[in-house]
Amino acid sequence: MSNVWTITKHTFREALSRKVFVTFFLITTFVLAILIAAVLAINLSNIFGPISMKLKIDGDFETKIFSVLKLFLISPLYSGGLFLAIFSSSSFIPTMLEKGNIELLLSKPIKRGELILGKYFGVTSMVFVNVAYAVLGFYFILGLRFHYWDVSFLITIATITFAFMVLYGLIILIGILTRSSLSAMMLTYLIFYVFSPLLAHREKAFYLIESKIIKGVLNVLYYIFPQTSDIGSITSAIALNKEIASYQPIFVSIVFIFLTIGAAIFIFNKKDY
Amino acid sequence: MTNIIEIKELIKVFNDGRKNEVRALDGVSMGIPHGVVFSLLGPNGAGKTTLVKILLGISYPTSGSIELFGENFRNIQLKKRIGYLPENHKFPPYLTGEKLLKYIADLYGYRPANLDKRIAQMLEIVEMSKWSKTKIKNYSKGMMQRLGLAQAILHNPELIILDEPTDGVDPIGRKKIRDLILRLKAEGKTIFVNSHLLSEVEMISDSIAILNKGKVVYSGTVDELTTQKQIYEITLNREFDDYIKFKLEGFQVVDWKERKFRVKIGKESELQRIQQILQENNYLLLGLNQVKTSLENEFISLIEKTGNENE
Ligand SMILES: Nc1ncnc2c1ncn2[C@@H]1O[C@H](COP(=O)(O)OP(=O)(O)OP(=O)(O)O)[C@@H](O)[C@H]1O
Ligand SMILES: [Mg+2]
Repeated sequence: MSNVWTITKHTFREALSRKVFVTFFLITTFVLAILIAAVLAINLSNIFGPISMKLKIDGDFETKIFSVLKLFLISPLYSGGLFLAIFSSSSFIPTMLEKGNIELLLSKPIKRGELILGKYFGVTSMVFVNVAYAVLGFYFILGLRFHYWDVSFLITIATITFAFMVLYGLIILIGILTRSSLSAMMLTYLIFYVFSPLLAHREKAFYLIESKIIKGVLNVLYYIFPQTSDIGSITSAIALNKEIASYQPIFVSIVFIFLTIGAAIFIFNKKDY
Repeated sequence: MTNIIEIKELIKVFNDGRKNEVRALDGVSMGIPHGVVFSLLGPNGAGKTTLVKILLGISYPTSGSIELFGENFRNIQLKKRIGYLPENHKFPPYLTGEKLLKYIADLYGYRPANLDKRIAQMLEIVEMSKWSKTKIKNYSKGMMQRLGLAQAILHNPELIILDEPTDGVDPIGRKKIRDLILRLKAEGKTIFVNSHLLSEVEMISDSIAILNKGKVVYSGTVDELTTQKQIYEITLNREFDDYIKFKLEGFQVVDWKERKFRVKIGKESELQRIQQILQENNYLLLGLNQVKTSLENEFISLIEKTGNENE
């Protein structure tokens, strides 16, 4: 276990040395700064005050405004933040496998599985820190400025990071198989932005499709592909303080992580370098 | 005492059964005793790096058996007792020399109380103290190589495997590396060097093996290879005449040169007979030497004899 920790620690440091994560940080900081400027300029109570007085709208309307605001912040973080995260993390495994690097690592008393796990935890913890920074930033801005403290909003840190954890299992597997960060990145984008959303909404297309076989295939694909779109929906539901429709995507995704990481370790163990 | 490395019938086939199949090692057997400097020589593509990578678990053998320290080499804990300088290594460019050594110590699980001091010492030994706080991306090739040596000996390993340690290093740096290797040997370490720099190997190795196309074509000492037992060079006090040439016609004289000649000897009695003939004809024997050729000559002739991959 201490070997995994060693690799995690050094992967985290490697991530810090990469410009992309720093960029991620800077973009987040920039967005937070703009947000701060905006909330300082707009005095929400000036808006709410007269309205609620005149129309006698209770706190419910206010809550709705905040919900929309939270969604407005969290959606770009989910799709844009994960875009950056995939972009910056897809090269870790190919870099590790480069001639001259891999020999050094494999000559050490560390199991190959421990190397993979260390990379996995190192990169995901970096993404976690980035996401937490952004969400906590939003949380404190809303709280300090408007006295709107919604602790459940912080759960989105976990769900967004979890979505990345699902994708990163896949990125590691493709990285081990192809040694190419470009293919890992492209395939993951394709799944994240195209397949997963399409498959998540497959039922809307079902009334157009006659064939039971095609429906069945789509259903199977839905369970095979990482359900990041559904995790996105769960994240939105949390931001909107809505009921979460189903926890099933979480469980399926956990299985997905185990399968991809397991396969990556299995294949890595067999390879010559 | 058992050998520190014992390899039996090692075969490595890359891409087995496919079109691009490569038989990198073809039945290699060798034993390396404790406390020696052993050099593995061979032309490019002979299989030297492949052999070392298999010892370290970086590649897997197709068949054969390997023992390290008298144990099955698959025991991952054995790697703690081995230091390794990979060929064409790339260290994380964002680390400084000092941080790299900390990282390596971490990877080995090497945590002595005085680690910082040990790191400083290692950097001192390879003369990198001045650069310890400089990022590796700013290092020259020679500096990289010196740092590579430091990381290979940091955790005080018993067996040190160096793949082309003087690659890209200038002559002074090379001399220093040779001195370091000899110093490590004096400390009782076993050093395994992969090289094609024959003149260097000649200076430091206790024993060598020459690999060609995945097969061991020679193993033994440098001396045994370069000292050709059967050729002697004889120096006389004056130039020889035709009569003595005639007298020595029954022998395999290979080279006449003013007052010297070389002769191939089958039995020692032949040498006595030659001495006798020379004496009878009033020649004085000033010198009688076994002929030594250079390692390079022998290497080239061995590789040519066994077929050169690169041609
Ligand atoms: N991972 C690999 N996949 C396929 N072939 C390989 C692999 N590694 C090495 N080879 C082949 O095995 C043979 C031996 O290579 P190796 O690197 O061991 O040679 P070497 O003796 O170290 O050469 P050099 O002096 O150039 O370093 C070469 O033909 C090489 O192409
Ligand atoms: Mg080599």
